[in-house]
Amino acid sequence: MKKTKKKETVTKKVEQAKNIAVTVDNLHITYRGLKKTSIRASWKNMGDKVETYKALRGVSFEVEEGKILGIIGQNGAGKSTMLRAIAGIFSPDTGSIDLHGRTISLLSIGVGFNKKLTGKENIYLSGMLLGFSEEEIAKKEKEIIDFADIGDFIKKPVKTYSSGMYSKLAFAITAILETDIMLIDEVLSVGDAKFKEKSYNKMKELISDTHRTVIIVSHSLGTIKELCDEVLWLEKGEVVMKGTASEVIPKYEEFMGVEGEKK
Amino acid sequence: MKKFFSNIKKYYKYAVRSAKAELKSEVADSYLNWMWWIIEPFCFMLIYTFVFGVVFPNNTKYFASFVFVGQTAWEFFNRMVTGSVKLITNNRDLVTKVYIPKYILLLSKSFTYLFKMGISLIITFGLMIFQGVPLSWHILFFIPILIVLYVLSFGVGMLLMHFGVTLNDLSNLTNIVLRMIFYLSGIFYNINERLGKKNPTLCFFLLRVNPAAFCMNELRKVMLYAKLPSFEGLAVWLIIGIMLCAFGVHVIHKNENSYAKVI
Repeated sequence: MKKTKKKETVTKKVEQAKNIAVTVDNLHITYRGLKKTSIRASWKNMGDKVETYKALRGVSFEVEEGKILGIIGQNGAGKSTMLRAIAGIFSPDTGSIDLHGRTISLLSIGVGFNKKLTGKENIYLSGMLLGFSEEEIAKKEKEIIDFADIGDFIKKPVKTYSSGMYSKLAFAITAILETDIMLIDEVLSVGDAKFKEKSYNKMKELISDTHRTVIIVSHSLGTIKELCDEVLWLEKGEVVMKGTASEVIPKYEEFMGVEGEKK
Repeated sequence: MKKFFSNIKKYYKYAVRSAKAELKSEVADSYLNWMWWIIEPFCFMLIYTFVFGVVFPNNTKYFASFVFVGQTAWEFFNRMVTGSVKLITNNRDLVTKVYIPKYILLLSKSFTYLFKMGISLIITFGLMIFQGVPLSWHILFFIPILIVLYVLSFGVGMLLMHFGVTLNDLSNLTNIVLRMIFYLSGIFYNINERLGKKNPTLCFFLLRVNPAAFCMNELRKVMLYAKLPSFEGLAVWLIIGIMLCAFGVHVIHKNENSYAKVI
């Protein structure tokens, strides 16, 4: 029932002419050049060839607005690198990433927290780093505090928090301050069982918004199957396959099984 | 350069807020909290005045104020240089998780240092009145002199920030250079008095080639001895400072995306 409904919306969208949210074109990312070294070593190695590591080699794909894309692949396949590149933390070496003017955030926990300050002050610090203005945060402040649900601790320094409370607050900030495109590196599961359910539901609510485009990186195939419209399979920096979850995941499982036997 | 100004405009509020947050957290759990910002410079001044006023006597007028003016300028320069070397590495969390123009980190740091310099300046004025330094309108020239000092240290800071990412031991080198500048700048002795007659050429160079010594000397001239500053000198150092800043911005724009890959 649910699936047919989804399909309907998909076909409707195609009819409306594609509204592309993210375009990644022939993306190459190489780790090189800047390497940690000492002054002496950099003197000695002058003129040496710099070691390079190609994390992504020519990846191209598009995501339509409102779609949820899952990225799977083994460790070191370039999944996180790709997310960071889309978020603008790295610049591509060649190729391009076009967000068509949308706002974007990489959902990550506790960015820019200052542990000696209160939870409230950290909401502002973290929110402003994610690119929101003071006024926007002030509007959402109550909602964030309510969602985090840590009681009076919001007025106490963050270093006095338990690790659960810390992640609850951090999650609340990123979940309530929404952007057009959300990038999620491993679906977050934080806090106690009750909060876990709440955050998972919130996450679902966030990503099922029809205007929000979401890209998820996860090793949990179950989550990917449940949440994603499309799946992109990366291997050694290259796209192996892109398609619906039911097409890609069986092949991926098969591939991983074979890999396991080899070892 | 245009990108630089639009970034500054966009992130200015964040820089201010994070500077405030840092100042707050610095004193959050010390017993005398913000009193340290006054006690520390005052005690240093007492030490220098005792050693170089009593142990090695000299004929400089208003010696305590003389030392304090020098120290105020020096501390700012020193903090900017030391602070910038490890700035990116110390903000690892931030740099790898969100995009932020890296000089915003330095800008924010510089605000905290400016604040401390402000306190130090207020104490200086108090001390000057206490010592009966004749006040004249020349004192107002301290503003352009400090602007030159700020622009210079910001430029130097940006370059050190960039190289500090890849060179682990850059801080060792900067420590040595800073120590050298510290002794050669005449913070606790009067370069003119010690060297003016014995070795006028050396004195001439010490006061002009070293920006820290130059700024200190000019500050003392206008604040303590009611003289006009050397406008040519200020103009030259301002131009050098602006060039350093422009170069620093260029280097950082070109490389900042790679920082996340290194640290």
